[in-house]
Amino acid sequence: MDLEVKRDRLVFRARGNKWEWGIEPRYWRNPLIYVSLLIIFPVVMYFVYPSLLATIIEANLLAAIAIPLALMSVGTGRMNFGPQFYIGVGGYTAALLSIHCGLSPGLTLIVAALVGLAFGFAMSPLSILSGGLYYTLLTLLFPLVFLEITFIYTDIFKGDVGLFGVAPLVSGFGFSVNQLIFTFASLAMMLIYLYIIDKVLRSRYAVEMAAINDDEEVANGIGVNVNKIKMISFAIPAMMIAIIGWFYAHYYGTFAGITFLPLTFMLKILMVIMIGGRIQVYGNVIGGYFIAFLELLLIRTAGDMSPVLFPVILLVLLLTLREGLFGLYRKRHYREYMPTLHVRR
Amino acid sequence: MAEVLKVMNVTKNFGGLTAVDNVSFSINEGETLGLMGPNGAGKTTLVNMICGSYAVDSGKIEFRGKDIAKLPPHKRCKLGMSRTYQIARPFLELTTLNSVVVASYCGKDMSNRSLMDAASYASYCLEFVGLFSRRNILAHDLSLYEMRMLELARAIATRPKLLFIDEAMAGLNPAESLHAVKLIMRAKEHFDLTILWIEHVMSIIMEAAERILVLHYGQKIAEGTPEEIVNNKSVIEAYLGGGEYA
Repeated sequence: MDLEVKRDRLVFRARGNKWEWGIEPRYWRNPLIYVSLLIIFPVVMYFVYPSLLATIIEANLLAAIAIPLALMSVGTGRMNFGPQFYIGVGGYTAALLSIHCGLSPGLTLIVAALVGLAFGFAMSPLSILSGGLYYTLLTLLFPLVFLEITFIYTDIFKGDVGLFGVAPLVSGFGFSVNQLIFTFASLAMMLIYLYIIDKVLRSRYAVEMAAINDDEEVANGIGVNVNKIKMISFAIPAMMIAIIGWFYAHYYGTFAGITFLPLTFMLKILMVIMIGGRIQVYGNVIGGYFIAFLELLLIRTAGDMSPVLFPVILLVLLLTLREGLFGLYRKRHYREYMPTLHVRR
Repeated sequence: MAEVLKVMNVTKNFGGLTAVDNVSFSINEGETLGLMGPNGAGKTTLVNMICGSYAVDSGKIEFRGKDIAKLPPHKRCKLGMSRTYQIARPFLELTTLNSVVVASYCGKDMSNRSLMDAASYASYCLEFVGLFSRRNILAHDLSLYEMRMLELARAIATRPKLLFIDEAMAGLNPAESLHAVKLIMRAKEHFDLTILWIEHVMSIIMEAAERILVLHYGQKIAEGTPEEIVNNKSVIEAYLGGGEYA
């Protein structure tokens, strides 16, 4: 057996066979490397520091919310400031059905996804009828209105106490093992979202979405069905975010609007997007992990000051990193959400 | 020759202002119709109504015998209508190739095309206007002339039968204008186009158009061959005003 390090590759020889692994920077983009790291990290933490698994789950879920939001932003050409509304829709649907009807998590998933899709379609005309500041304000208001509704109809939503007794997604293995299973479930969800959205954003539909992003009127004039694309790219991510709400309900065994619907939770998602870089789906994974661990760090070190420090950090990042951390890597590239076309003479 | 476009008594009001007032005209297949008028005459508003950007307040628009007055812009494009803009509006953040790929993919008879098919046709259109070597440049890095050519490539990539050119020469120097006119005339022959051309440069419109329509304060004041138009009293009055010096 022999391992040789060459300038651009590692060469491994054993029993007359030879294996090579490219180590040039261009090979570092292999997604398998990063997926392996994401899988190994929680396993290591399970043995070294099990309480960190909760933070990893939070990181995966934050990234899983930000990834469909990227599709929504590209497809509608507008930034939705109230994605947590759909978390509320999915979470309350799952919790109510689980508690009152005794439905299993599998069935609540289907219903939560359908309800999220229905709400998404019902609200998608917003992206056609309103734009700019009005769209921002309207999307910002919806989760807050929903939160008020949960307080008004306390008998249904149980106000700030929340709904208790939601059937857990996994049970009976002991706390740490359950946490590890939840970690992998959240990671799987995030990776599936990443795969789907990445495929969409590299397909021919991305070209139409990019045109809508640039100039809706011109895009419509050259044959792009702007309204159809906007409605679909609003409703499908809404459904995907509602599924995250379903996961939260079955993960915690309880669901309270006060945890997810206020602006503080939206701020976290916004920070994930800012750190990752707007409309950078891979960047959202980095952003999710960065924010989840930063939050943990702030809680441990700054204590009561952490809610103040969070927006301050966001402000600094807004000023200094316009394209986010991932944007630093991608600054030499054009938009990520375009199919790569190589046309030669 | 068959009528490609028939506009019948169209009117457009913006509040109390009538931008287009009861205008009727038609364009025959293969024809180049010039549309002239002083600033604010309603030329672009008329094109916006025909292309679907503005709703028609009253009147009828027929494209190849089909009433299109109520159709949205993307459906009109798929029927075979395309346009360029008075102020160049390329997709600034897209590469030149991708800008034309969108048009190529979404245009007339292009559904179910693969992305690579669309890219092939887009590169053909870029080659036609002389921008193929600039295919990977972002549109905001192009010069004004190149932006105009990109708009032309994007318009022809939708495979139109009727092309609206809205002051394509605005901001171009004489050499660029001459080149652009030659290119548009070549595109007309090559892609079998019918053209409605809004232009302020008289020498160009006199040479390129077979028939000219003149608007003034939203109303049609003259229609005829270039020779008839230059000698028309109403047109002279609209451009130069009345009196002994007109």
